[in-house]
Amino acid sequence: MASRLEIRLKKELFDAEGAGVRRKAREYFGLEVEDVRVIRVLTVDANLSPDQLEQVRIGIFTNPVTEESSFSPMALDFDWLIWIGFLPGVRDTQASTAKEAIEDILGIKLDPDQGLYTSKLYEIKGKLSLEQINRIAAALLANDIIQQWKIFSKEDWDRSEGIGNPVPKVILNHRPQVSTISIKSNEELSAISLERNLALQDRDIPIIREYFSRQDVLAERKKVGLDLPTDVELEYISQARSDHCNHNTFRGLFRYHDLATGHREDVDNLFKTCIEAPTLKIKEQKDWVKSVLWDNAGVGEFDNDNYYVITGETHNSPSNMEAYGGAITGIVGIYRDPMGTGKGSRLILGMYGYCVGPRDYDGGLNPHLHPRRLLDGIIEGVKDGGNKSGIPTPFGLLLFDEGYLGKCLVFVTAMGIMPALIGGEPSYEKTTWPGDLIIMSGGRVGKDGIHGVTAASEAYSEHTPAGHVQIGDPYTQKKMHDFLLEARDEGLITFITDNGGGGLSSSIGESSRFSNGCLVHLDKVPLKYDGLDQWEIWVSESQERMTIAVKPENLDRFMALSEKHAVESTVIGQYNDSGYLRLDYEGKTCAYIRMDLLESDFPQWEFDAEWIPPHIRGLTEPVITEPGDHGALLHDILARPNICGRNWISRQYDHEVQGGSVIKPLVGRKQDIPSDAAVLRPVLGSNRGIAVSQAIIPFYSTIDTYNMTAATIDEAVRKILAAGGDPDHIGGVDNFCWPTIEYHPTKNPDGKYKAAQLVRSNLALRDYCLAYGIPLLSGKDSMYIDGNLEGPYGERRKVSGLPTLLFTACSVIEDISRCVTMDAKFPGDLVYILGETGNELGGSEYYRMTGYIGLNVPAVNAQELLPQYHALHKAISKGLIASCHAVSRGGLAVHLSMVAMAGELGMEIDLGKVPAADGLGPSQLLYSETCGRFIITVSPERRKPFEEVLSSTHLGFIGVVTDSPVLSVTDTGGQTIIREDITGLKESWKRPFGALI
Amino acid sequence: MTQVNNNNNRSQERPVRALVLTGYGLNCDYETDYSLRLAAAQSRRIHINEIIADAKAGLSDYHILVFGGGFSWADDHGAGVLMATKLRRHLGDQIRRFVEDGRLVIGICNGFQCLVNMGLLPGFDYVYEERRVALTYNDSGNFIDTWINLRINQDSPCVFTKGIKTMELPVRHGQGKIVADDDTINALFSNNQVAMQYADERGDQAMRAWPMNPNGSIRDIAGICDKSGRIFGLMPHPEAFNHYTNHPDWTRKKEGLMRQGKTIETEEGDGIKIFKNAVDYIRATALT
Repeated sequence: MASRLEIRLKKELFDAEGAGVRRKAREYFGLEVEDVRVIRVLTVDANLSPDQLEQVRIGIFTNPVTEESSFSPMALDFDWLIWIGFLPGVRDTQASTAKEAIEDILGIKLDPDQGLYTSKLYEIKGKLSLEQINRIAAALLANDIIQQWKIFSKEDWDRSEGIGNPVPKVILNHRPQVSTISIKSNEELSAISLERNLALQDRDIPIIREYFSRQDVLAERKKVGLDLPTDVELEYISQARSDHCNHNTFRGLFRYHDLATGHREDVDNLFKTCIEAPTLKIKEQKDWVKSVLWDNAGVGEFDNDNYYVITGETHNSPSNMEAYGGAITGIVGIYRDPMGTGKGSRLILGMYGYCVGPRDYDGGLNPHLHPRRLLDGIIEGVKDGGNKSGIPTPFGLLLFDEGYLGKCLVFVTAMGIMPALIGGEPSYEKTTWPGDLIIMSGGRVGKDGIHGVTAASEAYSEHTPAGHVQIGDPYTQKKMHDFLLEARDEGLITFITDNGGGGLSSSIGESSRFSNGCLVHLDKVPLKYDGLDQWEIWVSESQERMTIAVKPENLDRFMALSEKHAVESTVIGQYNDSGYLRLDYEGKTCAYIRMDLLESDFPQWEFDAEWIPPHIRGLTEPVITEPGDHGALLHDILARPNICGRNWISRQYDHEVQGGSVIKPLVGRKQDIPSDAAVLRPVLGSNRGIAVSQAIIPFYSTIDTYNMTAATIDEAVRKILAAGGDPDHIGGVDNFCWPTIEYHPTKNPDGKYKAAQLVRSNLALRDYCLAYGIPLLSGKDSMYIDGNLEGPYGERRKVSGLPTLLFTACSVIEDISRCVTMDAKFPGDLVYILGETGNELGGSEYYRMTGYIGLNVPAVNAQELLPQYHALHKAISKGLIASCHAVSRGGLAVHLSMVAMAGELGMEIDLGKVPAADGLGPSQLLYSETCGRFIITVSPERRKPFEEVLSSTHLGFIGVVTDSPVLSVTDTGGQTIIREDITGLKESWKRPFGALI
Repeated sequence: MTQVNNNNNRSQERPVRALVLTGYGLNCDYETDYSLRLAAAQSRRIHINEIIADAKAGLSDYHILVFGGGFSWADDHGAGVLMATKLRRHLGDQIRRFVEDGRLVIGICNGFQCLVNMGLLPGFDYVYEERRVALTYNDSGNFIDTWINLRINQDSPCVFTKGIKTMELPVRHGQGKIVADDDTINALFSNNQVAMQYADERGDQAMRAWPMNPNGSIRDIAGICDKSGRIFGLMPHPEAFNHYTNHPDWTRKKEGLMRQGKTIETEEGDGIKIFKNAVDYIRATALT
């Protein structure tokens, strides 16, 4: 018999969570709710005596200072009650910690079939209709993908019954079963694949059939009792061949055709030509590049004794369906990549990038989650994932565009650090040897996350299976992180990799290639509940798990450490050199596949790519005269959603844990203006630092993705340099998010153009990485950022996101005392612009504000910019610069305002002194987004040495910093065109999101 | 910037040993350990389960016990609550003996939350079992990372804040609001157990104005000690101000100094003072 414990804050105490619900009800729906108070519910489905229950209630779950609790209903004073609990099988992390505490305090161990479940009861007061209460439940508090709810009115509330005893227990009543699959014909296998959601690719099917029909293969299979392929085997092949794991798109053959010039060119394998080749070339030139292109993350040198690790990826599809769960799973998941790089690294940093629909969207389309709610959930997910992992989150981006209504983008990036040597060997090297034990550590395996990888390789539709939505558990992972570092330092880890996409299938499948074989006992894998089929155990993406190779002689010590850290570890098999991946279940073989099958000649994906240059597409420059009121224009552009302050996000992310914060996400006198880059000191005893920055400018894609990519890389580089980064040590991470490029006459009629956009983007990636000497330490591609959204008439419309590249740059700073922030420091300082301004407003914030795209998208001349970058770095290293800020979205007007606002100082600026191409008017000078430019302030005393160092650059001395907090700009004729109070500008910049917490 | 107190005799003195607890989601252990070392303590990071398993050696080797920041047990069921439950059961007697021996305990952020839930704070009348104070959700309803100003109670017996008048430190928490009944709050003040309060830039009390008082804490309380001053809990993070570059405005300060022909005097951050006070106290009482 289950018991239900209810806990609530004492009446006289302020209920902050309830107040948050009230605030959101007002903001989301304009509903005025009088009062909301929250009751926590813990359902105990275990045989505990009344004494034990009381001991648990008092001893653990009730704070005598603030709380009251009872095993009877606690709801008192309300008009409505909303009860919200999880659906069966959804990760309930609070229930796990409750169980741990109960077992500890009572000194007992609960049976596996006894369980705990948490839920919440919201007491709501106010004159609200049932429809309104339903809206609060469904569109604010709960998500039907992971939660269930019940609504009680004051009238139908039974004081003695309460909410009953909700026990969302998973009961499968299913005997695990291996089934075999017929391979008589391509058509039949294709049909079975569709029916079972196997996601086998039609072009792979003949290869698979051929393999399983080979006489030698059949003879070998017979020896282990197998004949036709099993579901486990086909799931394994499908997973390994998915676009997510195998990057078939990037490895595809692109038949590029420029429709304007008639030029045709085959680009064979974007990954090899545009990512691998340039990176390997740069690796040969730069000693600091230690390990790239094969492991979970890239490795660079921090100093002689330490290497850093960096990687980034996206978690779009799951976040789009369950924002909080998707985002927390994403950030916690990316942390496992550095943990599983080399022999394992310690996490030192996380970053985020969110692309969503407009926060106040009220158009006719109906996305699964409104962008406002989606964004709130994503922000919260990364907050809990980062903060609870004890990893600082010091940098991130947020971008709004209606194209992301179809599918939101959630980028997550992580860095780690590890000793250069472990047991005398380079830390980035690892391999598996025959005889090594295969150990799974961390969480248990359930149905969650099955077919996640294949779902990520599809557009979102109303039929997308919800089964792959998960809720990451940073607590379980943090324990595992601490454990694995200790095991690593004792030399117990031979090989380590994470279980992310594809689960064991991916981690063991890939790691056993080193030893050339393995035997796994699927029945040894610890499960959350009984009844999983063998294939489900093999491909489940249940989170917080690592796969580790341990030598048999180290097993005891490894397990002892695991126990000390309260982490579950299980030996589930052994690596060997049999040449086969073999999976057994209760002594019976259910998969037996040659290791070299995946190396066989699967057909390459092929794409037609048709490029139409922008002027042929009809794009032109707009016709806009010079504005009469430049001041009002500046105020309005500062309040644009993609320019304005979004400080509420960085403030809720712990960006200083680990004690090494050097440059924070928000800087300036009031610490309220975003910095160009984050800098931290990962080794506390050392004055070396790591700088990171990111850029994302998808709006330029509308004109030309080549320029978009060049400008994005350049912006990330500029921001790193502005903070003091070293132009000779810049590592890059490319994260592509692209709409579907596979042409289909009705479903994707512009597929060929989108494919050409991808080719051009990659060519720019190649060109600029080579020009700047940036190795791509890591990168990922996430295709299919499309959604079919319900319209106002019951129709569904396809919405595709803009071709998007998030570029991350990282650098090592030799001496952090040389770092520079972007805020103007002292009145009287001289203001300079480095870099020449061109007529490049295509895709700019100003044009978009006036409803145009334009044609003149910024172009990057790397050969011209590089000497300027080196000169700038020299000036910063010599301590000649007081502040430095990279000019980016919004142009000079916006970024001069930022520098002034950050310093709470004014500026007098003469546009006539700005180095510029001929014939530019004030609005072009103020709002052009030409790359390569910086705003620099310098002490008058250092004018001479500063100008000397930058003598061969496009440097303009354009004004002074003033004590009077006014931004004053004169045009080339000496007329004052802007004279705006800094405080007022800051108010405009903060207005859109200033009230958010 | 802090003036480093160079004590040349230090190396000859017997070491002051500090223990920083780790495990179960705690996470500020590296920088706390580093800060203690800067303060000339011999510090070790040790997993809670290792202390529990080694009951014989236990805590007796140490002079300073640190409950650091983090998210022990994910903050589930109240911040610091499950850690307090576990430690009370397995280490309660040892910790009480440790305190009775005159040694020092500091709880930072999650550690502070744990100390109040164990009843080590406020420890009225040297009884260390009663929960009288709670640290609950910030009024804003959300986690906040921001730097705040603190004013130090000059009359407090607190060992850790001796000689400090004001201090800037970061806070990073979602549950830092001190709540207690009026009698308890009054007793905390009349005993001078309120060691630090949130303040404005001039060092005057924040008067609950957000974000100077980042959580809505009653009477701006940021940190309290027991009556002896040897057990101290605070929400701000002194270990996160271990280097001058941790300060949010260091680039401006440095630039200003440079123009006066000066440089930063010491690399050490102000937060280290808190740990130095602890080390100095142990030395002075000859507990080593």
